[in-house]
Amino acid sequence: MASNNIKAVKKEERIIGGRKVSVAVVMPRDTPAPIPSALAGLVKGMLLTLGYFVRPWKIVTRQYPENRKTLKFPQRYRSMLHLIFEEDGYHRCMACRICEKACPNRSIKILSQKNQISGKIELDRYIWRMDTCVFCNACVQSCPFDALEMGHEFENAVYDRRLLIFTLNRYAGPSVLRKVESMEARSKMMEPRDRYGGPVPLNGTSMPIVQPLMVKPAQKPGDIG
Amino acid sequence: MTAAIKTLDELLTSPTETNRSLSTEEYFLNMGPQHPIAHGSLKLVLLMDGETVRKVIPVPGFVHRGIEKMCEHLGYRQIIHLTDRMDYLSALMNNWAVSKTVEKAAGIETNGRIETIRTIMAELQRLQSHVLWWGVLGMDLGAFTAFMYAFRDREIIGEIFEETIGARLTMNYIQPGGLMYDILPDFVSKVKKLIAYLKPIIEEYDTLLSGNVITQERLRNIGILKAEKAIGLGCTGPVLRGSGIPYDLRKLEPYGAYDKVDFDVVIGTKGDCWDRYYVRIEEMRQSLKIIEQLIDNIPEGPHSVAKINYKIVLPEGTYYGQIETARGVLGVFIVSDGKNETPYRMHFRSPSFNNLWTVTQIVPGWRIADLIAIQSSLDLVIPDIDR
Amino acid sequence: MVTVAQRAAGVLESNIWLSLWFMLIALVAIGALVAFLGMGLIYAERKIAARFQCRLGPMRVGPHGILQTVADTIKLLLKEDIIPAQSDKIMHLVAPFLALSATVLILAVVPYSPILQVANPNIGILYVTAISGLSVMGILLGGWSSNNKWSLIGGMRSAAQVISYEISATLAVLVVVMFSGTLSLAGIVQSQQAGWWLWRMHGVGIISFLIFIIASTAEINRTPFDIAEGESELTGGFHTEYSGLRFAFFFLAEFINMFVASAIAVTIFLGGWMPFYIGGFEHFNRVMTIIPPSMWFAGKTAFLIFIFMWFRWTFPRLRVDQLMRLEWKILMPIGFINLIAAAVIVIQKFYFFPE
Repeated sequence: MASNNIKAVKKEERIIGGRKVSVAVVMPRDTPAPIPSALAGLVKGMLLTLGYFVRPWKIVTRQYPENRKTLKFPQRYRSMLHLIFEEDGYHRCMACRICEKACPNRSIKILSQKNQISGKIELDRYIWRMDTCVFCNACVQSCPFDALEMGHEFENAVYDRRLLIFTLNRYAGPSVLRKVESMEARSKMMEPRDRYGGPVPLNGTSMPIVQPLMVKPAQKPGDIG
Repeated sequence: MTAAIKTLDELLTSPTETNRSLSTEEYFLNMGPQHPIAHGSLKLVLLMDGETVRKVIPVPGFVHRGIEKMCEHLGYRQIIHLTDRMDYLSALMNNWAVSKTVEKAAGIETNGRIETIRTIMAELQRLQSHVLWWGVLGMDLGAFTAFMYAFRDREIIGEIFEETIGARLTMNYIQPGGLMYDILPDFVSKVKKLIAYLKPIIEEYDTLLSGNVITQERLRNIGILKAEKAIGLGCTGPVLRGSGIPYDLRKLEPYGAYDKVDFDVVIGTKGDCWDRYYVRIEEMRQSLKIIEQLIDNIPEGPHSVAKINYKIVLPEGTYYGQIETARGVLGVFIVSDGKNETPYRMHFRSPSFNNLWTVTQIVPGWRIADLIAIQSSLDLVIPDIDR
Repeated sequence: MVTVAQRAAGVLESNIWLSLWFMLIALVAIGALVAFLGMGLIYAERKIAARFQCRLGPMRVGPHGILQTVADTIKLLLKEDIIPAQSDKIMHLVAPFLALSATVLILAVVPYSPILQVANPNIGILYVTAISGLSVMGILLGGWSSNNKWSLIGGMRSAAQVISYEISATLAVLVVVMFSGTLSLAGIVQSQQAGWWLWRMHGVGIISFLIFIIASTAEINRTPFDIAEGESELTGGFHTEYSGLRFAFFFLAEFINMFVASAIAVTIFLGGWMPFYIGGFEHFNRVMTIIPPSMWFAGKTAFLIFIFMWFRWTFPRLRVDQLMRLEWKILMPIGFINLIAAAVIVIQKFYFFPE
């Protein structure tokens, strides 16, 4: 739009590549603005900032630690990875390793074990590295069982780097999608898993100098530890 | 324009023409990688005479992360997240460039809904990028208020992205075969509110900076880039359009839904900083016009035409696709050997790389303050140069 | 009215200790004024800047961030004092003191109220103009001695800028001197008993005031004339290589300079501590006297400081040659024509309430 009463942009039609294209040409400024309109422009700029000065309700700052209770995140916000646990505490991961292959920088490592009783592959540890994860959502998108989601926790700073490598499953055992005869048989197949245990993967290899952080093993199944 | 490759040593010790009567000594000044106006980590070695710059030697490479090398062992769906980080201000457009090339190479046909939403997202991203550029230009010229206003408005666009996509900067949204998520039901109303909010805000931007005689005098007739030189250097985007050449890929090789909308290509006349500045301001208005025309007519359909775990193996050969980002033409070049699901070689023709070297041509003869105005008006994003 | 300097001089012969006591009081008062003004002004600048920019400003340290400057001062005091290795050490040490001392010396002659003034030399305004030329030494020494090409550029630019704009400032001041007939600051304030010079001199007054404000903004190196320390170009300009207490001196000198420029503008154009009198309207004048004179002075100075801050947070920076062109080709000719017109008006007594 015109500033300083000089038309800033002129519209015309040009033929480019055999096609008629509508073009907006920015008018050149060859001379400095005349003094009255220059002063008027300066004053208008000052009035604009004064307008924001006298309207304190236009302030957009949010004071962070004080507004934590009312913070709302969009549903799709991508932060900490979780396995989705159903109401009875079972996850849906079948240890198919599709997410491990989809992850661009190998931030997911799945340790699987063979179930003693049924002989089928099941999840032992689902290790996710938050320190290398880029939160690209490839794992969530690629899981055929919808077992993963990215949650909203964003205050994840720690003082020890080893605390950024998580075991996401709370128990090693069959997922809820695998049919088991009875509840007792199912709970016999489950072993609790703590959050920070397990070997520390680095692109598929273990780092010998960083010892895994061993927390006390959980007392009851389903206990996070 | 032939370019003999010189080493940095040769450049620093070569003599410059001197036809001055007063004997003054030239000195080197290092506008190093850490500088408030470097817009990133770019080193500029300046050969100065008093306050006038005689020679500019850019030394890029401080943000090189080996993206093109990393692409050689990632599948095509995994490469998308790396393109977010190249020119982070037009992340969605970078995603689109790679997706477009892969879709063309693999023969995947997308539907109208996908293309329309991609266009809307790209134009929103272009708005966001230009708003930030405007704020940074204000800050470089000394008007710090402009920076704060720009970030306040950028937040609002960022919130729309956050709700639809889940992230504000590293989007990873436009994938080969469609989109990651479908848009939410309240997307249309939110975008309409945004358009109604932004239209008077651009007028405010005009009042604050464009109508200010100080800004006009700082940008007028500075750093004139003639059209032939611009073409010779390979500039694209608002830098080229500011010199008067109406080269806009959205009109010349329409992709997405651009052939269904009516907008103007904004060009300048002289090629000075004011032209490049006002071209971008007017482009913001044109982006709003495009979004207005598209937002009510999003066709129905699935948001992704490829299966989720689709492993894409491109047939053997070389493929090239390009797109008009906020900075210029981003080209994606893929060499595939037909057997793996990873490319054999991937190269990105980044717009900021070509725009960077114009400083060697248009800055000499101007002062430091003009160097800063010129660099701001070129709108360089350093990670795009270094990849 | 009797200033502290006059009191001290009066008893110098008879009671040397009382005289020294008066001088000590003046010293402590000015020191306290500098300290508290500095803290208050820096906090005010940050809050006002935030309000212009749709944000809140300091809110954490103390309720609504009142103690922010205290925390900053403690931080600066505890910092390591860095002197660059190959710099000129003596000049590097001296530069901040020169910058601050020029400012503090002017604070001593400003009439804050009918009974509050430290010294009132007959050549008041000439003294102010002379001392303000001393501040350029601080900037120049700081820029040169840092052994840093960026700081050198900042120092050189600022030297050229300050000495150019002194001319315009002096031309504006001369207009007021012609009207009021005296150089001493207390005399100038007294001569505005019938009304402030700003409106009493009608057209000439407004033009002089505007020229003085613009020249003062350039004298104190504030945006739109802050090329010396242009934060986007030179990171810190002449004060890049300073840290700790000596950086605090430069920083403080900038804000106290702003106060001094406002105070001088208020004294000569806006009546100093004189309430808003209109000559001849006795009742109106008595109403205006309800607010004490020091409050008048503080209010007017605060208003002008707000104007300076308003300029800073709205306008971009001028380039150095545009700045010079503004001074030599635009402001100085207008200043001269203004001076001649003022001379004509004084002789013809064509202003409100001529003496």
